[in-house]
Amino acid sequence: MASIIRPTLLRQTGLAASITRRAASAAAAPTSIFALNSAFRSTVAKDAMRVAAFHASSRRSLLPPGPQVIKGSVNDPAPVPEPHSTHGSYHWTFERAIAAGLIPLTVAPFAAGTLNPGTDAALCALMLVHSHLGFQAVIIDYVPTSRYPGLRKACMWLLNAATVLVGVGLYEFETNDVGVTEAIKRVWKA
Amino acid sequence: MAALRSTSSRLLAAASRPAAGPTMFARTMASVSSATTEANPKGSADTRMKSFQIYRWNPDTPTEKPRMQTYTLDLNKTGPMVLDALVRIKNELDPTLTFRRSCREGICGSCAMNINGTNTLACLCRIPTDTTKEMKIYPLPHTYVVKDLVPDLTYFYKQYKSIKPYLQRDTPAPDGREYRQSKADRKKLDGLYECILCACCSTSCPSYWWNAEEYLGPAILLQSYRWLADSRDEKKAERQAALDNSMSLYRCHTILNCTRTCPKGLNPGLAIAEIKKSMAF
Amino acid sequence: MNSSRVGVRALRQAASKPNTFFSHNIPRLALANLQTRGAATTPTLKPEDAQAILAEQRKRRPVSPHLSAYDYGQTWFGSSIWTRITGSIFSGSLYLFSAAYVIAPLTGWHLESASLAEAAAAAPYALKSGVKFLLAWPFAFHLFNGTRHLVWDFAVGFNRTIIKQGSWVIWTSSLVTALGLAFLV
Repeated sequence: MASIIRPTLLRQTGLAASITRRAASAAAAPTSIFALNSAFRSTVAKDAMRVAAFHASSRRSLLPPGPQVIKGSVNDPAPVPEPHSTHGSYHWTFERAIAAGLIPLTVAPFAAGTLNPGTDAALCALMLVHSHLGFQAVIIDYVPTSRYPGLRKACMWLLNAATVLVGVGLYEFETNDVGVTEAIKRVWKA
Repeated sequence: MAALRSTSSRLLAAASRPAAGPTMFARTMASVSSATTEANPKGSADTRMKSFQIYRWNPDTPTEKPRMQTYTLDLNKTGPMVLDALVRIKNELDPTLTFRRSCREGICGSCAMNINGTNTLACLCRIPTDTTKEMKIYPLPHTYVVKDLVPDLTYFYKQYKSIKPYLQRDTPAPDGREYRQSKADRKKLDGLYECILCACCSTSCPSYWWNAEEYLGPAILLQSYRWLADSRDEKKAERQAALDNSMSLYRCHTILNCTRTCPKGLNPGLAIAEIKKSMAF
Repeated sequence: MNSSRVGVRALRQAASKPNTFFSHNIPRLALANLQTRGAATTPTLKPEDAQAILAEQRKRRPVSPHLSAYDYGQTWFGSSIWTRITGSIFSGSLYLFSAAYVIAPLTGWHLESASLAEAAAAAPYALKSGVKFLLAWPFAFHLFNGTRHLVWDFAVGFNRTIIKQGSWVIWTSSLVTALGLAFLV
């Protein structure tokens, strides 16, 4: 089926591209192999050390909490942050609504077997927002502002930029290609 | 109390050697030096020797890394609970072993620790009778260790204080007497008021491990819900506003280690879900 | 018991009296264990100094083991973290693919659905099925467990046994679904 769709010309260019790529990587190999090998060895050694050391002490490499510093005495309450509904309850509800909306949108097109550009566009949009929110939660969890304020900001901006880029990419794919649902179907059944 | 303790230690000591010399020599320090110490010799027919691996760290030698020390006890001469074993180790094998304990009946929450991978109260946790497997005892996970099995819970208590765990009311009771509550309203507090703040659930929560500074954790949120659910409390909006940010409440991702670990059989995960639900719409 | 008590008292009296005969004959250790501390020997600390010592001690404290010590059945197979892992796999590949698709005209890659389908068709059956399974399982798992989390958000299904059984159901059903999607569809 795929061979009907695809012109032979494309296949030839694809083959040519892969050959040149392989040649280029082979040429670059002698210099890079040593670097790669030593890098590999150093990570392996580090991992072995960690396994040996972490039995009774915490795993330092994973989100090290730093030395204990407590501000104020036991009788002072921990600080209460300012209310931000857009980061709190609204955000949570929005997240759930998007996730709930994705369930029918992912299952229905494959189950029904029909191609509808409307649902496909909705699926793309929700997937993008869902992914963005998911990555956001990961960053908030693992890159705390208190310990890495700069890295946190950088991660968030990187994520925003990536999401915009991906949004453009999905739009291009939807308008120029067959659409996400149909593409997945074709690749899956190829 | 002191007299009681000295008699018991002498009784135990009497078995091994003649009771000579003053009482304070009954606890010998000699057995501490070896890594593995045993309370009873192996080999006799009616002994069930079980090994306990216990986390050790001494603040007097802070540069030394925490280590696991193995103690072996005869289960036939030990009480059924893990706390009994710990007390026996401290009395007979190693007086330097440090842990918190008080009520020995699961109501004070002092002896919360990580036993065989799960947080629980040592006084409510039976020693598994399978003697081939070693027991592993750690302090509560991802806490700063004061010594051995004693974690520092200062920040936990500070967080508890931050949720204002007391009845807040502006209006007096209509009849000028105590604040009344219907039976149905009182029933809403069941499963909430029993929390003893042992911190088993909070320290089982990976989210609390990574963000203990800002995330309140299951125990404190259960307490928060205890006051949100109280029909007599009049500061519901303020209490909810204090939780309405990205960190305090919403770092809960329903991992549910809290519900699975609670030694009192409470359900912090459900309490948090109720808070989220009530704040969602 | 009483006799030993008397002995202790005698020792204590001996210690308090400046009697050279006694203090030479009694081992030092016994005296040390009596815990008769003179008030003058303990230095008095101001509260802020005590706080400073505590703050200094706190900085040296180790963090108790967590991921390495906690029950793997709960933290690793309790299936919550796998929702995040599988989701990240999918979102990550979506992001990578879309970003690559945007810059594909510049680099000359062929990421059109047609060429992808062609590549998939050219791959051997085992490889194809393997990759399909590796994509189908995270999808099924994320879908099923995500649905379970949405149910939990309505404060339903928090019974301990239900949680435990639910994890088993999620793992088995997602594996079965993935096998079906990979080899039958």
